[in-house]
Amino acid sequence: MRMWIYIVRRLLLLLPVIIGVMTITFVLISTLSTTEKLESYYGPSKYGYAPTIDCPPPSTQQCPNPAYVRGVHALGLNQPIYVQWLQYMKNSLTLNWGDTDHGSKASGTLLGGSSLPVTTVLSYYLPYTLELATFSLLLILAISIPLGNYSAVYRNRPLDQATRVMSFSGFALPGFLLALLLLLGATVLAGQFTQICNGQATPYFQFYGSWPPNACYPSGIPPTWIGTYSQTSPTGFPTIDALIHHNWFLAWESVKRQILPAITIAYGSVAGILRFVRNSMLEVMNLDFIRTARSKGVAESVVIRKHAGRNSLNVTITVLGLTFAGFIGGFAIIEDVFGLKGIGLLLAYSIQPSIDFGLVFGTTLLFTIIVVAANIIVDILYAYLDPRVRLG
Amino acid sequence: MSVGGSTAAGTPEGALPGPTAPPTPGATPATALKKGRRPNPRIAQFKRTWYFLSRNTLALIGLAILIFFIGVALSQFVPTAHPLPKDSLQLYCGTYTGEGGGNFQQLSPGECNVVCTYASNTAPTAPNCYAVDPLNPANVPPTDNLAHLAGGPLPLGSLTISSDGNLFYSIYDGFLVGAQWSLFISVTIVLAGAGIGLALGALAGYLGGYVDEFIMRITDIFLSIPGLLLVLVVLAAIGHLFSTLEGRVGILIGAFIVVWWPGYTRVVRGQVLVTREQKYVEASRASGAKTGRIILHHIVPNSLYPVFVQLSLDVGAIPLLIGGITFLGYQIFPTVYFPEWGTMSALAITILPSALTACQIATAGSPCAFPWWQLLFPGLIVFMFAIAVNFLSDGLRDAFDPRLRR
Repeated sequence: MRMWIYIVRRLLLLLPVIIGVMTITFVLISTLSTTEKLESYYGPSKYGYAPTIDCPPPSTQQCPNPAYVRGVHALGLNQPIYVQWLQYMKNSLTLNWGDTDHGSKASGTLLGGSSLPVTTVLSYYLPYTLELATFSLLLILAISIPLGNYSAVYRNRPLDQATRVMSFSGFALPGFLLALLLLLGATVLAGQFTQICNGQATPYFQFYGSWPPNACYPSGIPPTWIGTYSQTSPTGFPTIDALIHHNWFLAWESVKRQILPAITIAYGSVAGILRFVRNSMLEVMNLDFIRTARSKGVAESVVIRKHAGRNSLNVTITVLGLTFAGFIGGFAIIEDVFGLKGIGLLLAYSIQPSIDFGLVFGTTLLFTIIVVAANIIVDILYAYLDPRVRLG
Repeated sequence: MSVGGSTAAGTPEGALPGPTAPPTPGATPATALKKGRRPNPRIAQFKRTWYFLSRNTLALIGLAILIFFIGVALSQFVPTAHPLPKDSLQLYCGTYTGEGGGNFQQLSPGECNVVCTYASNTAPTAPNCYAVDPLNPANVPPTDNLAHLAGGPLPLGSLTISSDGNLFYSIYDGFLVGAQWSLFISVTIVLAGAGIGLALGALAGYLGGYVDEFIMRITDIFLSIPGLLLVLVVLAAIGHLFSTLEGRVGILIGAFIVVWWPGYTRVVRGQVLVTREQKYVEASRASGAKTGRIILHHIVPNSLYPVFVQLSLDVGAIPLLIGGITFLGYQIFPTVYFPEWGTMSALAITILPSALTACQIATAGSPCAFPWWQLLFPGLIVFMFAIAVNFLSDGLRDAFDPRLRR
């Protein structure tokens, strides 16, 4: 089969998955009562959204709540469930994911108390997460492939055992704990709990937040293109934006601020990938062509690097796709610890103190799309790298 | 060396190939069967697995730690004079009143012990007094000095649970009581997930066709949502319907099962695709066994091993995930101080900065002691549990997989 047909087919298969995920969120939303749905959509109201409220003073009876009646009609909540489902699908597929709620920390802290369309908010925060994901992915590959290969070559030697223990500890250490320990370690190593910027002591951890505190800029004020929530920057990717604006200080700062988060993420997910690299390398090392290469006198390092390493790479790429779901899910915690303005932080803030359903489900859908897209890219890469793979 | 001697020793290895006692077809079938009886293949496999496992040091270490944790959990069922409450820990509370060793004041009578502080170089003022840093009374450091304690439980290291820094409980108590809950929650989730995964995976793998396609597409949908997120979303959507302890724990377990079954389904299906091509399955089918019987008696028991490895791996991950959710600020359990390891480790981190700030304000800016044990011990518990489980599961994988044994 031709490559492009394969890609189109994979993209078409994406549709049922997305519809399925949206159906799951729809089922979960259906467990909310109508009152809760209205409150979540319209925000708090003076009279609430109960179906009936007390009538005006002379009467002591219950009257229908106008807010309830209006809301139910406007949102179509009185329609049969399949009509609501279709409506939900239509809105979701047209990226009409509702507005953010006032009740959660996301609105209060990140959005300055304003209510914005969920899609807009997500589009502001997505690039940051993607940049962090790219950094982490590079780090994971840089660690796991050489280490996995070496621990397969030096099997059951001290290096292999040490790698094994290290990778397990990465799996077993809670991400938030590791992040905090790194943060503490970095601040202690840097020799200061407060950052001295322009002669002022700034009470922040040195590696905390997506941007330095105001006093730390060489001019004392941040450049205007860093908005609080409405990003006026051209791409939204922090490092790229800083480079576009020729702001070398900020570019370096933004990279520096992603080192510790990337290490945290990599440390957690290297464990699984390393095991797979090691095992696939072990399998490849026993194949005939390795013996042939050795017997014809190819240097051992070349055998390992070119013959075995190249062939075990295919498995690694597959596993990378599978673990992507795991490690991107951890972004909520990592970005929360480090105060990075990505969609993970948005998610972390959208569940407290009250839950912003629009934002939570929107973020979930976005994360899902990222994961599925990553899987497709991995599959295509796999098919490209390994000519034996049948496209089908 | 005589052949007769080795047969007389009666070892099965000696008896079987020996030319002196061949199982002749003419002999009585019952005795022939008894004599040449081979051990149950599953027991033999178990013995083989155990042999390979016992040669793996890391796996043995993991097993030992795990047995210790299980022992801790079980020890809570032993009746004692001062049993710890099962669902809520004893809170110690108080406010800091005086300089250089002031007293804690009881905040809510009947719930908290009166805890007083005194500087460690002076004499205790009353029974039940713990030597603590007078500048930071909420931080009871880990101690095994019982000399000045007339009675009452000793907080072996405190865990601050209120942001103003004057409500805390003993990490040691949390560890003891939490063992039950953490193990119970983890094992329940994993077993239920594995059960569902086993049933669906066996069906999908064995029947194939549309059933396979249907089940696996649904599995794909669930697998494409990041696990932590799905738990969070399920809890967010239906968690508020429950407020009792049983309800909250139940909904937590339910939310995790929703996340956990697809992974098992995929693993089981992959194994069943191999198992169903085996000769014994074919033989069973040829002798007229029904599909249900084949799946129950042949497919499922022989596809158990990868599930077992996955299962042992996942048990350790659950306290970490629960900790993650707590860290994100979602209150899973009805009380903040619910004894669960993951919650405990997350609480230590979420409360610490605000408690430190509160302490600095209360002591007018003088530096507060950094309560290192609040970070270390809860984290260590979760870490040890997860890593023990990982060691064991890695050992199991090596022991089960003949390709990795070499």
